[in-house]
Amino acid sequence: MGNAEKSSSSSAENPSVLAGRNWFERLLVSFIAARTPTCREVVRLLSQSMEVKLPVATRIKIRFHYLICIWCYRYGKQLQALRRIASSLPDHMDDCAQETLPDSTKERMKQILRETRDE
Amino acid sequence: MKLQNSLFNFFAPSTSLCYFTGMQNRENEVSKVVQGVSDGVNPERWVDDHGDCLFRYALLRVRHPEVAEDLVQETLCAAVRVYRDFQGRSSERSWLCGILKNKICDHFRKLGRETNFSDLEFLNDELSHKFIDQGWNHDLGPSEWKAEAEFIDRAEFWEIFRGCLSKLPARVGDVFMLREMEEMTTAQICQALKISQTNLWVMLHRARMALRECLESNWFENKPRLQTNG
Repeated sequence: MGNAEKSSSSSAENPSVLAGRNWFERLLVSFIAARTPTCREVVRLLSQSMEVKLPVATRIKIRFHYLICIWCYRYGKQLQALRRIASSLPDHMDDCAQETLPDSTKERMKQILRETRDE
Repeated sequence: MKLQNSLFNFFAPSTSLCYFTGMQNRENEVSKVVQGVSDGVNPERWVDDHGDCLFRYALLRVRHPEVAEDLVQETLCAAVRVYRDFQGRSSERSWLCGILKNKICDHFRKLGRETNFSDLEFLNDELSHKFIDQGWNHDLGPSEWKAEAEFIDRAEFWEIFRGCLSKLPARVGDVFMLREMEEMTTAQICQALKISQTNLWVMLHRARMALRECLESNWFENKPRLQTNG
């Protein structure tokens, strides 16, 4: 009960598509909430969807859940952003690290490369 | 490998064949450089141009400088051997980086040790305040990330991202980076690290949750403040 009060009290700032702004929205929200997974579950499924294609029914449920929960929608978008960010990190190593190979190591490497090339 | 080379020589244009056979007898450093530039290959230049970058990446992944040095060494040697396959479709650096990624995957395959499952316990309680019952706490739920195109070129952003990665427990970080940076498939990672798919999914889920959280609080929510101050 306490939770229901909390979510209705903050519905003014709730930017979700359906946020229970009037009786009809409230009806839709509770209808969708009863038939889609909880946020905790959606968040887990969203990570899983980065690995395997989820069943159609699950994907539809998540879509409907987005209508009542903008946070899960953002979470899904951000997981994709995270993937893009992580995969381009190797191209930005010079931006985030200053370690260098010691000169002696570089010379040794060059020596070995000469030998490898001339094999 | 030898068969591959000979097949390649057979099909390769005669110019590159001349170059590589001619190369073998040359001792003169200068002519090597000239020859190398004209044909686009000079492995010693790779050390100067890309060595540090490759080393930084390897170091991020394996954490020990000696191991990272060995990986860079292996990468460059392999690159010399397969140079003729490099068609210039990508930049030299991303080509070398690709080889290094394979070497990193091999490194983890060789390690293949049992996962330290205590890592899985992390974050269990740390993020529970984010949820009220099973739903997001509206005040703490994910905020909107704006202007992705902008931050991708900012050095500060990458520093923060690297910092966030290093805060992950070692094994969770390994798994996440193998998946997202070396782009191994889930099946390959399970096989290499000898962990179950369920465990892998849990680890990836926790890693993503933690990284998302870390980026949001250190970059996306800090950034507007920094901008107004500056």
